[in-house]
Amino acid sequence: MDDDEAIARSLDGDLAAYEALVARYSALAHRTATMLGAGDEAEDVVQEAFVKAYRHLAKFRRDAPFRPWLLRIVANETHNLTRSRGRRSDLTLRLGATADPAAPDDPESAALSTDRRTRLLAAVRALPDRERQAVICRYFLQLSEAETAQVLDWPIGSVKSSTHRGLARLREEVGNELT
Amino acid sequence: MNSHDPHNDLEAELTALGDLIDVPAPPPADVAAAVRARLTALDSTDSTDSTDSTDSTDSTDSTDSTDSTDSTDSTDTDDNPAVSTATPARQHPEDPAGADAPLRGSSRAPGRRVDGRRPSVRRGRRKRWTIVAAVVAAVLAVMAATPQGREAVARILRFAGVELRISETPAPAVTATAPLPGERTVPPSELPRTFQVRTPAALGEPERVSEADGGRVVSMFWPDGIRLDQFEGGLDPIFFKKLTPLPAYTEVSGRTAWWIPGEHPLGYLTRADGTEIPLRQAAPTLIWQDGTLDYRLEGVRTMAEAVRIAESLR
Repeated sequence: MDDDEAIARSLDGDLAAYEALVARYSALAHRTATMLGAGDEAEDVVQEAFVKAYRHLAKFRRDAPFRPWLLRIVANETHNLTRSRGRRSDLTLRLGATADPAAPDDPESAALSTDRRTRLLAAVRALPDRERQAVICRYFLQLSEAETAQVLDWPIGSVKSSTHRGLARLREEVGNELT
Repeated sequence: MNSHDPHNDLEAELTALGDLIDVPAPPPADVAAAVRARLTALDSTDSTDSTDSTDSTDSTDSTDSTDSTDSTDSTDTDDNPAVSTATPARQHPEDPAGADAPLRGSSRAPGRRVDGRRPSVRRGRRKRWTIVAAVVAAVLAVMAATPQGREAVARILRFAGVELRISETPAPAVTATAPLPGERTVPPSELPRTFQVRTPAALGEPERVSEADGGRVVSMFWPDGIRLDQFEGGLDPIFFKKLTPLPAYTEVSGRTAWWIPGEHPLGYLTRADGTEIPLRQAAPTLIWQDGTLDYRLEGVRTMAEAVRIAESLR
């Protein structure tokens, strides 16, 4: 069952189909909420977002991809939460335990020394708000510029410029070379 | 990573770093069940709560991409619909933990919605989830009123032609090993032409290729118990697996995939009438789909390696 079919069936009131859709995007939604600052309330944000998405499903344009549409709701819920409590959670991101011993032959992770990873993550955390959000969406969540614009509800030019500024700042902080 | 400038090391490094970041999340099936239970609660409340129905008409802001461009100021109007979605749930008797919500709600008031939206978060959440699971189990017991011991199954998920039957307690291990119905070794030239059969470049040529159930499933075998099953998906699942741990979400070339980490009973549902045929105790398995084709890769030790192999399909 692909997204479109699941959505069609959900619109017909098939909750099992919507459940499949939720399960499919659950991890990504949690990742998005957590990374955008929901902290330990990510679970609530995500549930709320999925409930909202269901209620708005009829307004979803079926020829558009579901993922950024959903993530925009997640980002919005996260934003509402962080604004209502007057701060965002510290990014409690941690590097996965699977990173080191399990994948010694993974050149991508081997190329990043633990120390450099830690410094880079700290530098991302310390970025100004908008730059951090852009960098997180573009690289940690691997969204395209267009998707990022949709999810954050920014003009695409803002995505480009914030990403650019963020990268420049990170480059200053940690240098550009792999160590 | 292919969507980024390949020449930019920092961008590649950030992407790799993102892949290494561990974000704790509850099992997808639990989230799905919780959302479903809330929607069920909303539905049943909608019919009696006249104020709620008005919200659905004025709460479009969060999904209308044209209404604003500055996210820092654009979301005021979202507060009300968000409140409305939570209100019926709070009224619903599924949430006995709501009794202690006012205390917590008031102490948290500056940090929460005005009316204490999501009343039982925190302490109440665990309890709520337990109850939600019970509700869902009851619903499934009614829906899945088919024979053969499904009563022990707490949840059924279907993905990539595989039906995952998730229960609280482990299903008895399958001790025998059965082939797929009509399974026979075929030379590559005689592979069924009903769908495009692909081979993972990362594993090289298989030792053996078989087809089963009249060309419905093609299986390839490599040393060390690695096998890839591929089949054309429809709405009906072809395999079933009995699990206690929930599958882990991952992606194969950007598409959803699920990793089932432990050994688990595997069975087959025949094309003719869905008869269940126990097959064997399966090794860790990655399942994913690409368009209408479904794949299950069994016997690879780690999820990362399984994903790497899956992404090498040619």
